Formats: sequence, C-alpha cells, structure tokens
Amino acid sequence: MTEQKQNPADLSGAYALNALGADDKAVYEAYLAGSDEARTEAAELGETALALGLAADPVQPSEGLKASLMARLASTPQLPPLPVPEAAPAEQSAPEAAPAAGVTESGVGVPAAAPAERSTRRSAAADRAQRRWFQRPAGMLVAAAAAVALFAGGTFVGQALNSNQFEQQQAAQLAEINAAPDAQRAATTTTDGQPATLVWSGELGLSALMVQDLPALSADQDYQLWYMNDAGAVPAGTFDSTGSGTVWRVLEGTMHAGDQVGVTVEPQGGSPQPTSAPIVAIQS
Amino acid sequence: MLVLMTADSTYDSESTAPATRKELLGRIAHGDQAAFGELYDEIAPRVLGLVKRLLVDHAQSEEVTQEIFLEIWQSATRFEPTRGGASTWIMTMAHRRAVDRIRASQAGRDRDQKIGIRDLAVEYDHVSETVEVRIEHERVKKAMSRLTELQREAVSLAYYGGFSHSEVAERLDIPLGTVKTRLRDGMIRLRDELGVAS
Repeated sequence: MTEQKQNPADLSGAYALNALGADDKAVYEAYLAGSDEARTEAAELGETALALGLAADPVQPSEGLKASLMARLASTPQLPPLPVPEAAPAEQSAPEAAPAAGVTESGVGVPAAAPAERSTRRSAAADRAQRRWFQRPAGMLVAAAAAVALFAGGTFVGQALNSNQFEQQQAAQLAEINAAPDAQRAATTTTDGQPATLVWSGELGLSALMVQDLPALSADQDYQLWYMNDAGAVPAGTFDSTGSGTVWRVLEGTMHAGDQVGVTVEPQGGSPQPTSAPIVAIQS
Repeated sequence: MLVLMTADSTYDSESTAPATRKELLGRIAHGDQAAFGELYDEIAPRVLGLVKRLLVDHAQSEEVTQEIFLEIWQSATRFEPTRGGASTWIMTMAHRRAVDRIRASQAGRDRDQKIGIRDLAVEYDHVSETVEVRIEHERVKKAMSRLTELQREAVSLAYYGGFSHSEVAERLDIPLGTVKTRLRDGMIRLRDELGVAS
C-alpha cells in the first residue's frame, strides 16, 4: 500500500531500475503524466539504466532460438498502434463501459451493427453449433500450417477498462503461450465459416482464441468465451469484433486438460452461464 | 560472433546504430519479418546477456529471451520513437521480463543460492568479447565507482539482482524511504558520470 505522505518524485530511481511494485509504479506514472521535469528525469535515468543493461556480458543465444522465433512470427498477431494520446490524464477513459464489458476500444473500424441480419442467421447457425458443442469437436485440424497465414497482422479487441495495460498483459500472455514448450494449436471454423484457431499450453493452463472476420455485434451484445468440460461451462472473458481482420483474446481463468473452448453471443457484459448456442467450439 | 561497433553507438540513442534499430522497429511494426531477423542478430546477445545476469540459469534465460522477442514483435507497433531510444525500449522490456520470471517461478529460489556464492556488487569480466563491451564495462565501472558504497549496493541489488525496492530494504534491513533515496541519488550520480542527457 502506498502512503499519501510519500513524495512520488523519490521513486524515480527505483522506477528506472524496474524495482517498483505495481502500486508504486502506478503512483509514479500518474505523477509523471503531470510533470515535464519528472518526465525528463525519468527519461534520463532510463538511459542510465540502459548503460547498466549493456554492461552485462553479452551471451550468444543457441542456434535454434532464432529459427524457432522466426517460425512463430506468422502466427503471432501484432498489437494495433496506440490510440492518439489523450489530451489530459483522464481518470476514466471509457465512462460508459461497465467493468466487465467487452467494448471496442480502438478508434478504427467502428462496429457496424446489423442486428436484423444477425438474428436471421442465428437459428441455423445455432443448431449447427449446438451439435458441435455437445457432440464432438468437428472440423478440427491440429497443425499450424493452415492457421499460420491467417493471423498475421491480427487486430486485438479487448475490454475497455484500462485497455492499454490490459492489452499489454494479453500480448505478454499470448507470447508466453506461443513460447511454451508444450504449445499446441487447433483450427476449426465458426458456424458461419470464419476460421478460428485455439492456441494453448497445458503447462501454463492458458489458452487464446483467434477468429478471423468475426462479425460485429450490436452494442448491447458481446462475444463470451467459455471453458467447457464435464462439470459445465466456466466464463472466460468477453470480447468484441470490428467485423474484419483477426480478433484474439487470451482466456481468463485456468485451462484444464481436455477442456473445450467455446464462444457464445451474450448480452453486453457476459452471462454467468451460456444463454445461446456456441458459434464455435474447439477441443483443446 | 559479435559485431564490433563503436562505443558511442550503444549509448547515444540518436546516433547511427540505434537509429537503425528504430528503423528496424518501424519496419517490424509493419510485419516485416526480415527486419525482425536483423534486429535479433544485432541485439539478442545483449538481451540474453542481461537476462542471464539476472536469472543465472542458461536454459531459463533463453526461454525468457524468446518471450522478449515475441513481445518485441507484437508490440513494435507501440514503440514511440519520440519517447526514447529503441535500445532502451528493448532492454527495459528484457529487464522487466527477467524480473517477472524471477518473481513468478522457482527461478527465484535457485538463483538466490547461486547468487549467494557470487559477489552481487557489479562484477566485470576482464576478458571481454569485444572492444565495445570492454569500453562499456570500463565506463560503467568508472561511473559506479563514483557512487557511495551504499548507493552502489542498492543499485546493484535492484538492477542486477532483480529485487524490488522493498526487497532491497528487507535484505539490507533499512527503511524503504532510505532505499528510495539511495536508488534515486545513485542513479542521478550515474547519469551525471555517464553524461546521459535527454
């Protein structure tokens, strides 16, 4: 816990050395936002820390590391650029967003809601998904080759609250999954035929779903992720889609061996249990 | 084999080599895999060097290095050249990742044992691989020698030990406020000795 009496300026050294906990870091960054002088000091001490970093003895990585990295690039989506910097340090960046709501946060590609079209499509889609969800993981192909090309340059669309930090965290987790020695992937399509890929690591207990060209939903709806197993469905986060490009999301909670990952369309903010049939289900 | 660079290039973010790194990041942000390969060749030994300095264990350090480069690939779109140098951005990320790993895993305990044997104060290998590295060592060593013993200890524990400021306080059995002051004063002294100006 951070005491009010402390002077945030004192944190500059620890900040540059990456020695602050999350609370103090937030305090210091809030302070930085309001002071040119502090930003200058932070930048200079950051450069100073770089000198310390470069003074560590270089170590040549093993041969395989580069090849392994290069092979993962195509299947590793890049984050969209940061939105235009806010004019002032805003306390709330998305005043209308409910805490758990999945709302498009990036300024580009405002979702064009097409509720009428969606509802007509849904019944047939729902039937197919229902079968898929409860009977077997159909149309699954493990192996990356096909999926790989689809996800270059994917778009991340996640929760609105504290979105930048959230995205960084999501990106970090996705990188972790991709880098895990036991990382696996499975591909299928949604009920409307959009390619969907699940990547997961059993060791990390993490998975991420990527879907291409997932249709945008109306403002009062969200896509919701679920972990499904014999015990039932566990909510695993919500997301939104702009309708084109690739959306991806690291699931909340822990993945267990054999879990199915599914997506349903739910009222905005998500539901405690699925209220509609899944549009996609993938067996991990 | 490491490429020999001039000593300046690694310090001054506006000079030739880092400017190239900025350009590379710019291309990577557009999905350029060749640029990513180039950047990797150029900076991976420095990244792994720093990570290994913190984690000690080689296999774990390579794993973390892989995560770091994937993060570079993913978030090159977020790199803002106006807010600092490419090398700073990358090495800061590397340090953060290494520290995350220490805090998240068994690595912490294993490492403590290995580090216990070593001297945590900055140590320098005098058979450096390149002139560049040797010059850097000398510069940083000289700058570090201008700190007080207490400042040097705090800065080394935080940066090369990967300890948070409260962990440093605990280890040294001194108040947190004192650690903050030592870290800040120490870094400001280092900045002045190294002639870093933004």
